[in-house]
Amino acid sequence: MDGAPTASRPVRGLAWAIICFLLLPIAVVFPVSLTDKRYLSLPEDNLSLQHFANLFSSPEWLSSIGQSFVIACAATVLTVIVGTLCAIGCWRIGSKLADFVRVLMLVPIIVPTIVYALGIYRLWVDLRLLDSYLGLIIAHSVTGIPYVVIIVSTALAHFDARLEQAARNLGANLRQRLWLVILPGILPAVVSSAIFAFIHSWDELVLALFLASRAVFTLPRRIWDGINEQLDPTMAAVAVLLIVVTMVLLGAEMWLRSRRTA
Amino acid sequence: MRRPAFGETGIYWMLVMPALLMLIGFYLFPLVRVLWVSVMEPTPGLGNYALLFTNSSIHRVLLTTLRICLLTTAITLLLGYVVAYVMAQASERTQRWMMLGILLPLWISVLVRAFAWVTLLRRQGIINNSLMGMGVIDDPLPLIWNELGITIGMVHYMLPFAVLPLLTGMRGIDRRCLAAARGLGASRMQSFMRVFLPLSLPGVVGASILVFIFSLGFLVTPAILGGGRTLMIAEYISVQILDVVQWGVGTMLATTLIVFIFALLGLLARVVDMRRLFGAT
Amino acid sequence: MDRIQSFAEDQAEILADEYRAGRVSRRQMLAGLGALGLAAVAPGAARAQARPEVVVVNFGGEAVPAFREAFQQPFVAGGGRMVIDGSGPSNGKIKTMVQARNVTWDIADSGVAGTGELGPLGLLEEIDYSIVDRAKVDPAFTYKFGVANYMFSTVMAWDTRKVTGKPTLADFFDIQKFPGRRMLRRSNQGMLELALLADGVPADQLYPLDMERAFKKLATIKQHLLFWNSGAESQSLLRDGEVVMGLLWNTRANLLKRDGGGRMDYTYNQGLLQPGLWVVPKGNPAGKEAFRAIASMQAPEGQVKLLASMGNGPANPQAASLVPAELKAVNPSDPANVAVQAKISAEWYEKNGAAALQRFLDFISA
Repeated sequence: MDGAPTASRPVRGLAWAIICFLLLPIAVVFPVSLTDKRYLSLPEDNLSLQHFANLFSSPEWLSSIGQSFVIACAATVLTVIVGTLCAIGCWRIGSKLADFVRVLMLVPIIVPTIVYALGIYRLWVDLRLLDSYLGLIIAHSVTGIPYVVIIVSTALAHFDARLEQAARNLGANLRQRLWLVILPGILPAVVSSAIFAFIHSWDELVLALFLASRAVFTLPRRIWDGINEQLDPTMAAVAVLLIVVTMVLLGAEMWLRSRRTA
Repeated sequence: MRRPAFGETGIYWMLVMPALLMLIGFYLFPLVRVLWVSVMEPTPGLGNYALLFTNSSIHRVLLTTLRICLLTTAITLLLGYVVAYVMAQASERTQRWMMLGILLPLWISVLVRAFAWVTLLRRQGIINNSLMGMGVIDDPLPLIWNELGITIGMVHYMLPFAVLPLLTGMRGIDRRCLAAARGLGASRMQSFMRVFLPLSLPGVVGASILVFIFSLGFLVTPAILGGGRTLMIAEYISVQILDVVQWGVGTMLATTLIVFIFALLGLLARVVDMRRLFGAT
Repeated sequence: MDRIQSFAEDQAEILADEYRAGRVSRRQMLAGLGALGLAAVAPGAARAQARPEVVVVNFGGEAVPAFREAFQQPFVAGGGRMVIDGSGPSNGKIKTMVQARNVTWDIADSGVAGTGELGPLGLLEEIDYSIVDRAKVDPAFTYKFGVANYMFSTVMAWDTRKVTGKPTLADFFDIQKFPGRRMLRRSNQGMLELALLADGVPADQLYPLDMERAFKKLATIKQHLLFWNSGAESQSLLRDGEVVMGLLWNTRANLLKRDGGGRMDYTYNQGLLQPGLWVVPKGNPAGKEAFRAIASMQAPEGQVKLLASMGNGPANPQAASLVPAELKAVNPSDPANVAVQAKISAEWYEKNGAAALQRFLDFISA
C-alpha cells in the first residue's frame, strides 16, 4: 500500500488463532440452543427448535428483550454524548484539575456494583425512580461513562491538537470545531465506546435486580430468573438470535459498501 | 472575534460539566452516603478498617484477587496487542472480519459464557474428549475448577476491552514513520521495537488500566469456573452485603478498592506520563 | 402476563400505584375465581377491594407459577388479594428496603439464615401467632421472626456407576472406598452438619455445632471437593460425571434420580431437615393482612400442591395424610423421612450463622 510493513505471517496466524479463541464459546452456544433437553446442554438424541419456539412465543422473553433494547439504547446515547464531551473538554483544558476529573470518571468501574446499588436505591426512593425505565437508564448511563472517557481519551492522545487550533484561528466556533474537526478524527473510537456502553447496559444484572421489581424486567433478569432451578436453554437461543442478527446486518453493510465502491 | 466571556478554558469546562454533574449527582453523592456506613456500622469508628490488618481471610481474598487480576491483565494485553497490531496493519476488509470476531462474543451474557466454558473445558468436555479422541493425551487435562479455568474465562471476557483501545491508539500512529524506519534499513523487528511499540504505549497503559480495574469486579466467572474454591473481592463484598448483612465490612472494602486504585494511578503517573495517556498534548 | 400489563399502567402514573395494583389483582382474582368455578361469588370482590394487597416475594422462575397455584388462588378465593413477585428477597435487599422506609414486600420466602441475620437487627416483624396457627407447623420450626412455609433437606446423592450399594455418609469421606471427586454446597448450611453426622455425632446432639471437628472432617477430603453455587449447578456436576457423590438439596437429588434412568440415587438417611421460612419485613405495607395470608397458606391442600410441583415438603404435619402414595418417598417432611434426619437449629444460626459462613468460605478458598 504505502510501503508500511505489514505483520509477518506467524504473527497474523497468531492473531487469527486468538480470534478463534474468542469465537470458541459461540461454537458451543449454537448447538446448545438446539438441545432437546430442558437444561443448558449439548443436544443428546435429537436437535430441537423448541427453545427458539419458546423465545418467539413467550411474551415475557420478547418483552424483556424489548425493554433491555430500549434501556441500552437510551443509556448508550446519553453516555456517549456526555462521555465524549467530557473527554474532549479534559483533553483541551489539560490542567491538573482536568486530569483529576478524568481519573474521577473511573470510579464507577472501581466500585463493586452492589455497593453502588445500595446508594442509588436510596436516592431513587427519594426521587421515585425505582422500578422505572428512567431510573435504570440513568444508573446504566453513569456507570458506562468510564468506557467512553477511556476509549475516547486514548484516541484524542493521538489527535493533533493543532488541527483544532487552526480551525479556531480560521474562525470556526466551538460547535463547528467539535462537529467538523474533532469528531471525524475520533469517530472510530466513539463508535467502539458506544458498543461497550451498549453491552454494559445490555448485560447488567446487579442494578437491574436492585432497582427494578415487577414493572421493569430486563433481559439479564429474565436469564437470571429461576437460574436456581434450571439453566434455561432459551438464553442460548437469545445469544444465537443476536449473533445472527449482527452478522446479517454487518453482511448487508459490507455488501452495500462493496457495491458502492465497485 | 467574540471576546471569550470566561476564557477559552471556561468553554471547555462547559463540555466537561454534563458528565461531571451526572457523576456527582447520580454516582458520587449516593456512593459517599453508602461508604459512610463503613465508619458507622456496627459501631462508629475505624473498626472495619482495622480488619484490613488483622483479618487473615481478607488478606487471602485480596491476594488472590490481585494475583488473578494481574495475570489476566498481562495475558489479555499480550493477546490483545497481537490482534490489534495485525488489525492496524491489515486491509480494511480483513479488519472488518477481525472486528466481527471480536464483537460477536459480546452478545453472549456472562452467565451463558461461563457455562459454555464449562461445556468446553470439563473432564469429559469437548476439548478433553477431542484431544483424547485424537490420542494426544491419555488422561483429561485439568482445564477447569482451578485458576487456569478462571483465567481463561476472564481473559476471554476482557479481550475485546483491550483490543479496542489498543487499536484506537495504533490507528493514530503515523504509518509513514514505520515506512521511513524500514526505508532507512531497520529490520521488521527493529522498526517495531524502536518505532511502533513506543508510539503504541499510551494505548497499552490505557487498556491495562481498563482491564485491570474491570477484572477486579469479576464475580460470576470465578465462582463458576473456579469450582467454587476461589473467592475474589467482588464476591466477598457481595456476600457481606447480600448474605451476612455486614455492610460495614463490605463498604470498607469498597472504599479500600477506590483508595488502592487511586494510589496506583498516582504511582503510575510518576513513571508514565499520564497526560499523554489521557490525551493532553 | 400481569407483568406486561402492570408495566403499561405503571408508565401512566406512579401515583396510581394503589389503584393499578387493585385492578390487576381484581382481574387476577376474577380469573382465579373463574378457574375455580366460583365466579358466582364475585360480588365478594367489592369487599375484597377493602383488604390490602399482599405481596409475596420468592426467588423467581418456576416458583412463581407454583406459588400462584398453591397459595394465591386459595387466598383469593377466600376474598384476599395477593401477588407473587419473583424478585429474590436476599437479606441485603430486605435491609435496604427497611432502612430506606420503602418496603414493598409483605411476605418473603427466606430461611434460618434470613431470620438469623435480619431478626436481631430489628428488620423483621414478629410473627403474630394470634393469627398464624402454631398447631399447623412442627413446633421445631416456629420462630419469633419466621414461620415454616415448606420443608427441604440436604441429602447425599451418588452416581451408581461409580458408587455401588447403599453408601453412608461415612463413605462420602472415604476416598479409598469410592474414588472420585465429591461435591458440597458453597455455603456452610447443611455441610457442617453432615460432616459431623458422618464423623459419628448423634443427630440429636448436633447443636451447638462443633465447628473445629466439622472443619477437621472436611479437611480430610478437601482436595477432592468441588462446590456448587446454584441448585442447577449441583445437578449438572453430578449428571456430567464431574463428581461421583454430592451433598445437595432433596429437590435436585430427586430430579437427578427421576431423569437419570437409574444412574443416580440419593437417601434421606442422615440428611438435614430445614425449613423455608416466611418472614415479614419491618413496616410491611399490608400490615396484619400479611399474617392472615400466612395463615391461609398454612392450609395443607396448597402445601401438597407445592410438593407435587416443586418437591418442597409440606410444613403442616396434617398434610401428611393428603400426600399421594407415590409422593411419600420423595417428601422430605414425610414422617418416615423425618425420622432418619437431623433437624436444623435456627437458634444456633442466629448466634453463629454469619461467622460460620465466613469461616466456611475461608476454608474452601484457602
